[in-house]
Amino acid sequence: MKNNKNISIEEMSKELPFTVPENYFDQFALQLEEQIGYKKPFIRKTLKTWMYMAAMFVGILIMGQVFYTVNKNNVTRNAENYETYVLSQIDENSMADYYVSEPTK
Amino acid sequence: MNPSEEELVHQFSQPNRRAGAFSVIVRTYQERLYWHIRKMVLSHEDANDVLQNTFLKAWNGLDGFRGDSQVSTWLYRIATNETLTFLTNKRMRCQSSIDDVEEGLLQNLRADTYFNGNEIQLKLQEAVLKLPEKQRLVFNMKYFDDITYDQMEAILGTSVGALKASYHFAVKKIEKYFEEE
Repeated sequence: MKNNKNISIEEMSKELPFTVPENYFDQFALQLEEQIGYKKPFIRKTLKTWMYMAAMFVGILIMGQVFYTVNKNNVTRNAENYETYVLSQIDENSMADYYVSEPTK
Repeated sequence: MNPSEEELVHQFSQPNRRAGAFSVIVRTYQERLYWHIRKMVLSHEDANDVLQNTFLKAWNGLDGFRGDSQVSTWLYRIATNETLTFLTNKRMRCQSSIDDVEEGLLQNLRADTYFNGNEIQLKLQEAVLKLPEKQRLVFNMKYFDDITYDQMEAILGTSVGALKASYHFAVKKIEKYFEEE
């Protein structure tokens, strides 16, 4: 049924019939900042840097330990090899003579 | 005093000042964008979700913003896209026709505790909901916010002539709806 002739919406109130919860706009920005986590990238970045440095330090320590152990084993092995080599060059009889001969005065 | 728009754009490119500049942007535009979205989705909860997505998109796309357009235009563009995407997704979730979705929006509006309109205002919202989505967007921006056609052209990427025609037809349809109801 037509009951409103020549309606002009320009004459109507343009006020929006909506409301928002109390303090909505004050809270929104804070919640958004929390959600985006502005500070997180900085903290994460700093933490990452420190973690990399710690990992590098531990790596250097482990490598140093390995190098030291290998080097030490090599020195010991070299000394043993040298002793074996020297002993192999000496005739057994000469060695026996050396041990039984009287010490020179 | 808030920094100028040029200053804000400059601060976007500086990692240590970016968050501060973005906070200013959020506080400056949140209310305008909220009402822009709310007029399309009607319910407060949906408007809140879409507004959040808008600012999250803006924050993530900050590197791409070079100041070619105004910050407000850029934000309105994101908000509009997010709103239209939201309505499309809602339609797909409902697997229903446009009319069903709009009817659903209207029912939600009637039950919404954050709607305090009178009979005429409710009827106007009903009439606006009958418009095609893009026309509804144009009508809301012009009628309620009085955004200029030039600004609308920059935001929506539609020519001023087409926008004027769209608004004119929207007004005629709404007035016809009032006359017939």
